[in-house]
Amino acid sequence: MKFQPSIVILTGLLSGLTFTYASPATPATDPAPSHAALSLDYEARRQAVLAAARERIDASNPDAGGLHQVALSFADGENLDWARHRLAALMAEPTGAMFWMYPTVLVMKAGAAHLNEEDWSHLREAWRTYFPYRGDTENHWLMYYSSLYLAAETWPDLGPEGWYNGKSSAENRAEAKAYILEWMRITTSYGQGEYDSPNYIDPYLSPLALLAGWVHDADLRHRAEMMMTYIIADYAAEQINGNYGGAFSRIYPKHAMQPALGASSGYGWLLFGLGDMIPQSGVELLALSGYRPPPILHAIATDRSKPYEHFELKRTRWRMRHAGPEAIEIDGLLTQPVYKYSYVTADHILGSTSGGLLQPIQQRTWSLVWREEHPLGRANTFFALHPFHSPVEGTMYFAADADVVTDLIARSKVDYNSPDKLVGGSPYEEIAQSRDALIGLYDIPPGTDFPYITTFFSRDAVDRVEDPSGWIFARGGPTYIAYRPLAPGDWKPANWTGLLKGGAGAWIASGYNEWGAGHDTYVSEHLKNGYVVQVAAVDAYPDYAAFQNAVKALSLDYSLDPVPHVAFTALDGTRLEATYGKPARINGRERSTANWPLFGGPFLNAARESRSLLLTHGAENLQLDFNANRATSFVKPSAPLAP
Amino acid sequence: MKRASLTRLALAASLLSGAFAATVARAAANDATPPTRLFAAAAFTKAQKNSSIPTDAGTFVRGDDGEWHSFGPKIQQVSSATVAPTDSSLIFLACGNGVMRSRDGGATWRQVTGWEISDVIVVAVDPTDADRVYAASAWGIWRSTDGGESWVASRDGMDRNDMFTRTFIVDPRKPSRLLAGTAGGLYQSTNYGESWKRIEAVPAVNILRLRHGVADPAVWLLGTEGEGVWLSTDDGESWQTTAPGLATANVYGVAVDPSNSDHLAAGGWQTGVHLSTDRGATWHVADQGLPSRNLLAFAFDPAHGGRLWASTFEEGTVFSDDGGKTWQDGGLYGALVNDLGFLPLPVSP
Repeated sequence: MKFQPSIVILTGLLSGLTFTYASPATPATDPAPSHAALSLDYEARRQAVLAAARERIDASNPDAGGLHQVALSFADGENLDWARHRLAALMAEPTGAMFWMYPTVLVMKAGAAHLNEEDWSHLREAWRTYFPYRGDTENHWLMYYSSLYLAAETWPDLGPEGWYNGKSSAENRAEAKAYILEWMRITTSYGQGEYDSPNYIDPYLSPLALLAGWVHDADLRHRAEMMMTYIIADYAAEQINGNYGGAFSRIYPKHAMQPALGASSGYGWLLFGLGDMIPQSGVELLALSGYRPPPILHAIATDRSKPYEHFELKRTRWRMRHAGPEAIEIDGLLTQPVYKYSYVTADHILGSTSGGLLQPIQQRTWSLVWREEHPLGRANTFFALHPFHSPVEGTMYFAADADVVTDLIARSKVDYNSPDKLVGGSPYEEIAQSRDALIGLYDIPPGTDFPYITTFFSRDAVDRVEDPSGWIFARGGPTYIAYRPLAPGDWKPANWTGLLKGGAGAWIASGYNEWGAGHDTYVSEHLKNGYVVQVAAVDAYPDYAAFQNAVKALSLDYSLDPVPHVAFTALDGTRLEATYGKPARINGRERSTANWPLFGGPFLNAARESRSLLLTHGAENLQLDFNANRATSFVKPSAPLAP
Repeated sequence: MKRASLTRLALAASLLSGAFAATVARAAANDATPPTRLFAAAAFTKAQKNSSIPTDAGTFVRGDDGEWHSFGPKIQQVSSATVAPTDSSLIFLACGNGVMRSRDGGATWRQVTGWEISDVIVVAVDPTDADRVYAASAWGIWRSTDGGESWVASRDGMDRNDMFTRTFIVDPRKPSRLLAGTAGGLYQSTNYGESWKRIEAVPAVNILRLRHGVADPAVWLLGTEGEGVWLSTDDGESWQTTAPGLATANVYGVAVDPSNSDHLAAGGWQTGVHLSTDRGATWHVADQGLPSRNLLAFAFDPAHGGRLWASTFEEGTVFSDDGGKTWQDGGLYGALVNDLGFLPLPVSP
């Protein structure tokens, strides 16, 4: 893909973010959409998103309709009687803390032109009397402070009596901006805490879109625009036709089983035309904000012409207890580095972290996601885990006491301590990966609550074969899967307890039959355990049997005592050696984490603590420099960083 | 609301009961000072289904009518409340969002911390100088010398893994002496939090609750995570394990009767209430009639000699007037009570 052979200065609806594209050294030989065409396509999708959102508004029902719909009605100047009624009702008894704050701000900003004095009075009173909890994680805090900043900017001269927290507008703005800038500094220096979440990309992009779209403070507005591009770039490089792939900090069961349901997929359609259009309030907010993705993002998101390795350094959420020996201290807070690796091809993404407890509750340590032309309704994923739960994990991240923390977590994340859980990390799990091959090893202490490992075979992993050799084969869309358990197991329905099928978890479990029915799991009840995974493109083999024969011919040596050990030669000839408790070796060499970049790969590169991300596609580059608060486009080939 | 003031002498007599200033009213003779009332910092979690948000939460004060009344701002996460010993109109709430302060007895409130300080579990005020305030949080201890207007971290000498501080006391007789129960044991400062040193005699585990005597201020009692109950009767010079029935328990609640330091209470998860009437020499279990054996907090009632209040996990708060032989319903069914104590708080400002 190439860019237009001319100098283009594109200034979007956003202030300050100017992209300058110089002529390439050589003429384009592979026609790509022009920037103008990309812009037109984006605008068409933006309008489609908003039109679909309008269709879901039932203005005949005074008792239904949330703040996002109220905001859209006010923005359009439509359904105003209904919108006013709903706004009054929603301001009378606010609930949801930061999840109330940010859509309320959306009403105030997107709908400002049609809000009357009474509407403003309801809003004003709610901000004076309702005390929102700041929350317990970074997405909460970003929503909280972004909303607070915008609200305080709306009423810039209010004294302490005008706000729920007894601070003046000026004080609230100062505190909010300080937090937002600090979050950006930490994220662009040490990696995002809630990294790469198909779900929680939304509560990061939504507040950033509010700031990018409506904040008056020019410095903050520009930084928010750049940070949006930063987060979207992070996603663009690790998705396949809109579906986020690899390892995630957080994911819910329904999104784990059907990747297209994740909020990220909705953004993928709006921003890049990938996958299917999926109604998402956050996507609608972004569409309203006026943000337009720089063209290089489209190129990164859609170019899968060559397979690539992609490296990222992330971190765990801040740990208040049980930080562990691998913890590092940043400004007095403890966290642990997360070394993330993905292999991205035209057909699939296989990505992983090293294992261990890297996030609370909802970690996805590794996964395969394969390409589906229309992923909605498809369970295009494969993964395994040790279903672990522990008050130690809970008290790492939450202030609750050890005896109640698991119970309290399960009030909202009902599957957390369910034996058939399909999300979460384990301290007894170690993962090693090189491109399309992956080894998982487990050494589960006796007495552990769920003494087995679970491997998810979705209903769309078809043509399953249990070969006498011990390999289990399947095909997921354009990808062959080979899975070699190191200890025997049994097949069980994925939701064997019936917890989610029974509706526990409310929205988490809604629509179960659509995303949850018909999947199997391979459950292996051995404390010392493991598996080998080898995937490949269907196109690379003349037929399924040829793939199976090729895998069966590979060198595989393993043992489980005294600790699990595997030596495996992958289809590409790479030699992977993994021993539980020791660093893995790839072709005889340990993959050192010492020089692991913040981002490293053909598209995204950033050094640790650089506060700067370089986006590259071909000779086209975009530098997001948070030190100087400057986004600069230029043409210059650059070598990727790699550990 | 008028401010009540205390002399150092009066303070020495009042001997505040830890961070919760339970005996403030005794010394605060000013007519404007509200009577000491039972308060709870609580979140109603039992009815919380498919949600991370409690159905109600905040600070609650038990009125003369026996009903619980919401006090102060409705905040999802409140861990404790504190009244300044020298000024009953100066009230602090330890909140998830930070520290809330009222200077007018709860009529108006201001969050006096910024984004850096969150998940505050205890606020403590120097008994002689209301400008000297401490905030113990899940992320460490902060101190202020201007009544909460500004804060600095207080962590010198603490291990970086021990910042989580669940319980905190300013010694009422020696306000330069602070005791902090952290995730890594009991720490002491003798210089207003300038520096800290771990007390080696106490296990280096999560300290869940620290209380001390009023009638005999040399008595200190603490509950731990997994290491039971520890007692000092010589003002912290030495510590001994006590309550053998709780030796391996997670002990969330301990209390020392303000009128008689021989009377001790302790309990935690799946333990019932353990009581001693001889300063820890012997203990007996008093769980007949308790709605739950999961105990979170205790408070001896300074106005009703011998009355002990106990909060269970989500099964209500109860009280006993007969040494634990029988228990009576005290309300707060469904609540997770973070803290329970007595403070001079108005019922509904």
